[in-house]
Amino acid sequence: MFVILVYDAGEKRVNKFHKICRRYLTWVQLSVFEGELTLSQLEALKLDLWKVMDPEEDSIIIYTFRTKKYFKREVIGCEKGDPEDIFI
Amino acid sequence: MKRTVYVFSGGQLKREGNTIVLISEDDKRVIPVEAISEICVFSEITLNKRLLEFLTQKKVILHFFNHYGYYVGTYYPREYMNSGLIVLKQVEHFLNPSLRLGLARSFVYGAIANMLFVLRVYSSRGCCLENQIRAIEDKLSEINTAREIPSLMSVEGAAREIYYSAFDEIIGDPDFSFEVRSRRPPANRLNALISFGNSLLYSTVLSEIYRTHLDPRIGYLHETNQRSFTLNLDLAEIFKPIIVDRVIFSLLNRREIKANDFREDLGGIYMLEKGMRKFIKAYEERLSETIKHKRLRRKVSYRRLIRLECYKIYKHILMDEVYTPFVRTR
Repeated sequence: MFVILVYDAGEKRVNKFHKICRRYLTWVQLSVFEGELTLSQLEALKLDLWKVMDPEEDSIIIYTFRTKKYFKREVIGCEKGDPEDIFI
Repeated sequence: MKRTVYVFSGGQLKREGNTIVLISEDDKRVIPVEAISEICVFSEITLNKRLLEFLTQKKVILHFFNHYGYYVGTYYPREYMNSGLIVLKQVEHFLNPSLRLGLARSFVYGAIANMLFVLRVYSSRGCCLENQIRAIEDKLSEINTAREIPSLMSVEGAAREIYYSAFDEIIGDPDFSFEVRSRRPPANRLNALISFGNSLLYSTVLSEIYRTHLDPRIGYLHETNQRSFTLNLDLAEIFKPIIVDRVIFSLLNRREIKANDFREDLGGIYMLEKGMRKFIKAYEERLSETIKHKRLRRKVSYRRLIRLECYKIYKHILMDEVYTPFVRTR
């Protein structure tokens, strides 16, 4: 499934969040990640984030799409990361 | 399914923050390690043992290609799906001439039947291919009369020669005429495309075998000799017509790859990086394309089909079910 993950984290933890997310997803903007994951990979990612987050202060929103057919991705300005790119 | 990453920019590939990054002179690209299953390297990179340890831990396989796009080798991490029984059975099927011939026949049958499928597709689109189709159909009966592996390979070779003779009719572009099959070096653009596509497919099949209990070192049609992997070559034979050749035809017929995507070097014709990129993009799309699987009654991608083929070989060597190769039909 296609996943968009955004987070708001306390200053001490933003870097940890970033490091965990980039193991699974492509960094597209500050605190925003996108990418194609399986259900189990997403669960693993959630578990990893849960271990470092402070539920009182931090907030994570995960949008999932079964297919990419029903939305369009439009970038205005510079593109920081392309989740579709298979070339590095 | 986990995806493949293709590295075209040079730099240092290293482990950083529990993921893989490629550090080049002016920027840093992060590869999401949990979401990939293999990395294909086409550029000059440096790496260290720490990265290889990390790749082993994450079960990521690393394929290397040289400057000309030829397959160089694979960092094949420690096998994680070990099965003594499967290896034993694989060896048993290799050492017993009649068992080995049976499997080799299936591979040749699959390859030829899929060539026929491709020709019929283009014949129904108005290409005049009746002669080639009939000639290849004649070859099908020779599979069962061949008594040794070399004669089986010559049947396959003869069928493939007829099949390649149909390429000019399908493509109909003087820039990409076939002439004769030539490798190392490829004598013309079409041969360069075929060689490049086949080497991509060999590495894809190898990656799928890595995810199964099978040992890729024991092949049946291709001689198990000093080269390290042969089972992937056997399985790739079946899929070459329906994956690689279809990608070539669609790229050429849509005029996405042109003569200026190639260069001449050392007496041969090779693809330029921009050509390789276009090819890989189409190839990846083809692998993720889905078709309806008759037995499973659901849609499966071509990449998944390769894996299913491995599982069928399990069943065959464990004497559960006779192996029949995947043959694309309408």
